[in-house]
Amino acid sequence: MNEYFSRVAAIVWKDFVTELKTRELFSSMFIFALLVIIIFVFSINLSIVKASEVGPGILWVAFLFAGTLGLNRSFMLEKENGCLQGLLLAPVDRTVLYFGKLISNFVFLLIMETFTLPLFMIFFNVDLLPHLLPLLYVIFVGTLGFCAIGTLLSSLSVNLKTRDVMLPILLYPLIVPIVIGSVRMTGQILAGEPLTEMMNWVGLTLCFDVIYIAVSIMTIDYVLEE
Amino acid sequence: MIEQTHPVSSDPVVQVRNLCKSFGYLQAVDGISFDLHEGEFLSIFGPNGAGKTTLIRILSGLTRPSSGSAMVAGFDVLSGDTRLRREIGVISHATCLYPDLSALENLLFYAKMYGLDDPEGRASRAIDEVGLAPRRYDRVRTFSRGMQQRLTIARATLHDPSVLFLDEPFTGLDLQATNVLKSHLRELHTERRTIIMTTHDIACGLEMCDRVAIQNRGRWVSVEPVDRIDRDRFETLYTEMLGR
Repeated sequence: MNEYFSRVAAIVWKDFVTELKTRELFSSMFIFALLVIIIFVFSINLSIVKASEVGPGILWVAFLFAGTLGLNRSFMLEKENGCLQGLLLAPVDRTVLYFGKLISNFVFLLIMETFTLPLFMIFFNVDLLPHLLPLLYVIFVGTLGFCAIGTLLSSLSVNLKTRDVMLPILLYPLIVPIVIGSVRMTGQILAGEPLTEMMNWVGLTLCFDVIYIAVSIMTIDYVLEE
Repeated sequence: MIEQTHPVSSDPVVQVRNLCKSFGYLQAVDGISFDLHEGEFLSIFGPNGAGKTTLIRILSGLTRPSSGSAMVAGFDVLSGDTRLRREIGVISHATCLYPDLSALENLLFYAKMYGLDDPEGRASRAIDEVGLAPRRYDRVRTFSRGMQQRLTIARATLHDPSVLFLDEPFTGLDLQATNVLKSHLRELHTERRTIIMTTHDIACGLEMCDRVAIQNRGRWVSVEPVDRIDRDRFETLYTEMLGR
């Protein structure tokens, strides 16, 4: 078991060292998320609409669109110089590759979201600090579900010519339950409700997190096979 | 059946029986059978599209054959057994090196993925062996094609595999890099590793191998021990095939 985790850790280490050197993934995701927020700030009249009502949707649109960029880029890194072949030749279970990439994607997205939240607060004039802990929990479970299925689909679409188009087409319909749950929970949190009042949404999101990870474990062997 | 150049008493390291692979209507590998014993070096020549790469991919477990069987180092390539991957090293057109990592980081990563003891030491020694010690901390992106290929050899042999699959390893190399690669392959051959190499370079292929095969349209049209072939006739046959 230790060997299993050390190999997952090796993939995460490799992705982090690459990102620290290039900063391609973080900068593209963060700038994209920032642009989405700015566009919405200027297109919505915040004197008519309450920021706490439209904010959750905008925040999650920014997270998910920027996250899609990250997912696309994540496996493209493995395509360059045929590195994916090198990974497939390593004497490890295919789920090691899945979990390694999932953890990398998840952490990169969480970092991007952490940097985006203060900008959202400033632009929409919303005070998130009183609700920070429950909000971070919602972001955590929502992002986990998004990355769980996104990593699988990203590995599936990496060999397609139309991968840039295919990933969102495959991904967005599947993450609808996660998006609905996350947006609803974020809205209720901004309205001052405690997490205990939204256990049905918490349960739904967690349930889909587990389903996406389980489906990925069961199918990753076939997805990565030529 | 193919003639054996090694004693038949030892079990073959690579055993292929009636291997076929088709992509739709295209028959990339068509009924190939052969045995290869420990320490044997087989060169496979063939025009582009002859199915050489597909054969290497099947033997290394990357592609599933349509029919037939193949055993490498005692493991069925169809089984997906991770122990098979520990026994093989693959060098192909792709270097499988991360361009933004340094030479040392690349090998360190693969050493960790193969679960090797003392990954730092193994990676460092492997870099020294291929003569890239002064560039160990440089990004692979800044390496020449020849240097990348040397690092690829270090990557493929880092875990000390008993079987090596080389898919056109001389492609794009200058004379100096070709000589370095050849001398490294000779060393590996001396260490009695079983090697299968596909190449277009007749001189290189014939110089190093024990046995030669010509593959065309998925089939082996000629297989002979290298000491029994008439080089002129071989070159004529091969050139005629390329011209067709």
